[in-house]
Order: sequence, then structure tokens, then C-alpha cells
Amino acid sequence: MIQFKDINLSFDDKIVFENFNMNVLEGEKVLLSAPSGKGKSTLFKLMLGFQKADRGEIIFDSKRLEKSNLAYFRRNIAYVSQDVDLRNIKVWDLIDEIFSYKYNKHIKITKEKIMNVGEYLNLPADIIEKEVSQLSGGERQRLGLMICILLDRKVWLLDEITSGLDKEMKEKVVDYVSKQEKTILIISHDKIWSKNDVVRVEEW
Amino acid sequence: MNANEVSYFSMLSLVFLIVPVVIINRKLSININKKMFYSIGRMVIQLSLVGIFLQYIFNINNPIVNFSYLVFMIVVASFSTAKSCDFQIKKFLAPLILAFIIPNAIILLFFNTFVTRLDNLFNAQYMIPIGGMLLGNSLSGNIICINNFYKAIKQNKNKYFYSLSLSGNKIEALTPYFKNAILASVSPTIASIETIGLVALPGMMTGQILGGAIPLTAIKYQIAIMIAILITRYFSAILSILFTGFKAFDEYDTLIV
Repeated sequence: MIQFKDINLSFDDKIVFENFNMNVLEGEKVLLSAPSGKGKSTLFKLMLGFQKADRGEIIFDSKRLEKSNLAYFRRNIAYVSQDVDLRNIKVWDLIDEIFSYKYNKHIKITKEKIMNVGEYLNLPADIIEKEVSQLSGGERQRLGLMICILLDRKVWLLDEITSGLDKEMKEKVVDYVSKQEKTILIISHDKIWSKNDVVRVEEW
Repeated sequence: MNANEVSYFSMLSLVFLIVPVVIINRKLSININKKMFYSIGRMVIQLSLVGIFLQYIFNINNPIVNFSYLVFMIVVASFSTAKSCDFQIKKFLAPLILAFIIPNAIILLFFNTFVTRLDNLFNAQYMIPIGGMLLGNSLSGNIICINNFYKAIKQNKNKYFYSLSLSGNKIEALTPYFKNAILASVSPTIASIETIGLVALPGMMTGQILGGAIPLTAIKYQIAIMIAILITRYFSAILSILFTGFKAFDEYDTLIV
């Protein structure tokens, strides 16, 4: 479903990828495991076209990443970035804005639906009334995951979504994610992911 | 209905008042005498040239010449915007010129047609000072707007990318930055409209009153020009983002300025 073919990328003199190849099948949960600075997050950015590879290609649903397919990539991939880079506005306004985008409009969002997901993720009930800056790191991560869940796209890219959570919550999130019928790529330093037998570990 | 002519000698008399400033500066070793004389000298030369040039233009008062002068001012404004926004001239001069010329020309002609009701819309006496005021304001407005917009995107690169991933559409992801930039550009004008006349008489009114107009006439002009300035500044700001935006992003929607 997703293929990285002979990816080459270097920043200044530092080589990040040299003939990098990876295949991800539909429905797979893949944990990316590599030392820091080896381009795990960059791989996500490459897939979304935020970073261009020097050489190589990325295929998703038999579409090659290029200008004409860029929107397809971005609209079918739900991305939770490492710092959950949300603008500082009220959480409800933020969600309202996200689901007023043309491509997300078909998804009906109600406060009830948000509450349900929020409750599972142990988010405080009044979270939608808060400003993003008032949230703790862990709350932001779960909010990012919640948006990702609500978006209901077929591929999820999750960058360090459990680092700020307590043990119990980590287990809950891992359990939830591993049960999804989605294709999911995970970056995490939490051992708990690799212990899950649904998760395939891709090392480099 | 003319202002008292200022003779060259009476202008020189002001120089006497500068003498104590120079002396005090020297005594307190405030190091600005040189700078002060340089700027006064520069102003004298600059304004003399402009005065001679304008006098000449006013004398011929030819619509084409008048309009060309306005276009010239617009090109200068575009250069100056590109420079203060660190834009490559070659790439961004044309979009900036368009962003200036469309609203400025339309509002100016509208103003001359419906507000001052001129027979000759291109009359130098109106076109050049009023055009200059509109343009000067859209100049500062566009610089604020462009800087605000592109700086915000650069500083919030990851937030912008995240929005892009959520939306898949550059326009949607950029809308919040666009709104903020427009706001930053017109807010100062709205604030100055609010307090106008309370703190200092605006330049246009002062000029008209010195020129012999009665305050009531001067006020009407001032109100009209403030509204025209606001509208011009608003549309010019919007266009400056729209037109430069085409060249400021690469095919993957990444900012490249």
C-alpha cells in the first residue's frame, strides 16, 4: 500500500537516507525504530510532501508522490505531529475549523461524538472550552489523536503520541491503535509498542 | 485664498533657532549635529527637486503625464516594499505593482469622480496629492501585511504543515495567517481614524487651512480621504498577499521566500 523506493536525502553534509526502501501493507501497524537523527519524523514529512527527497519515490495506493497526487496523499493520511502543532485557539473552534475544510466537511462532528472519544482518551469534559495553550503536553497529544480518529482516514502517521502519557493511558492508546483497521505508522520510544504482537517493527 | 508666501530669507531665519540646539548638543555631547544637518540638507535638496518637478507637471497638467507620474510613484512604492520585505525584486516586482495599482487607481478615480467631482479626473492638483496620500498609506499597509503574513508562516512552519495535512488545501491552511495579516495592516488606520483631530490636525487639513480653505471644507476632505485611505489600504493588502502568494510557494505548498 505504501512504498518507499530508493529514497536519498541529505541535509547539508549529513546523509539521512541512502537508498532507503520500505514496504507497508494495507492494515499493517508498523513501528519505525531507528536512533535519533536517522530521519523517522522526516519520513512522515516526506510522505506528506513537507520535505522533498533528493532522489527516490514514494508510492501510496499506486500513486506516485508528485504535484498532481499531492492532495490525495495529504487527504488520505492523518498525521499527528510530534509536538501536535495546533494553533492557539479554543479547542472547539479548532475542531470546528478542521471539519469545515472542504475535504472534511462530509464528516459530521457533534459535541457528543467528541465527548465519546474524549472520554475514552480520559480527556477532561470541558476540554473543548479551553484554549490550546492551556492544555498539558499529554492532553495535546490525545487531542491530536482524537482529531486523527475523527478524521477517519485510511492511513495514520503517529509521531510520539504516547511520550507524555502515564502508563495506564499508554496501554489504552496502544490497545486502541492496534485494533484499528487502518494502516498505521508509528514513531515512539515507548517500549510498550513493540511488545504488542500486532505491531511490526521496522528497524534501520 | 492663498497662504502667505514664505520668502527664502524668512526660511533662513529658522536656522537661527537651530543654533541653540547645536550648542546644547555640543555641550552635552549628544552626537547628532552631523546627522541633523545631513538630514536637513537632504530634505532641502529632495523637496526642492520635487517642488520644481511638480511645478513643471502642474504647469503642463497633461492627463497622460499626471497618470505616468502616479505610475512612477507606484513603481517606487513596489521597489520599496520588496526591499523592506526581503523579496527578490525580479520575482516580486510585478505582483507588487499590480497589488498597488489596481486599488489605488480605482479608488483615486472614484474619489475624483464622485467626491471632488472633477471635470478632468486626471487634474494634477488633485490626482497627485490625493494619489500620493492613498499610495503612501497602502505602502506602509502592504509592508506590514506582507511581513506579518510570511513571518507568521515561517515562525509557525510546523503548525502550517499540520494544517496542510488536515486540509490538503493550501488556501484553507493559509486563511488564518491571511486574516491576521489583513488585520495587522488595517488596524493602525482604524485606530488613527478613531482619534483623528483630537491629538493633532491631520496634514491634509492643515495644508488646506493654511491654503485658505475654511475648516468645514477641510474637514469634509479629511473625512473623505480617511475613508478612501482605509479602503485602498484594505484591498491593496489583500491583493499584495494574493499576488505574491503565487510566487512565494513551491509546488508542494512550501514557503520559498
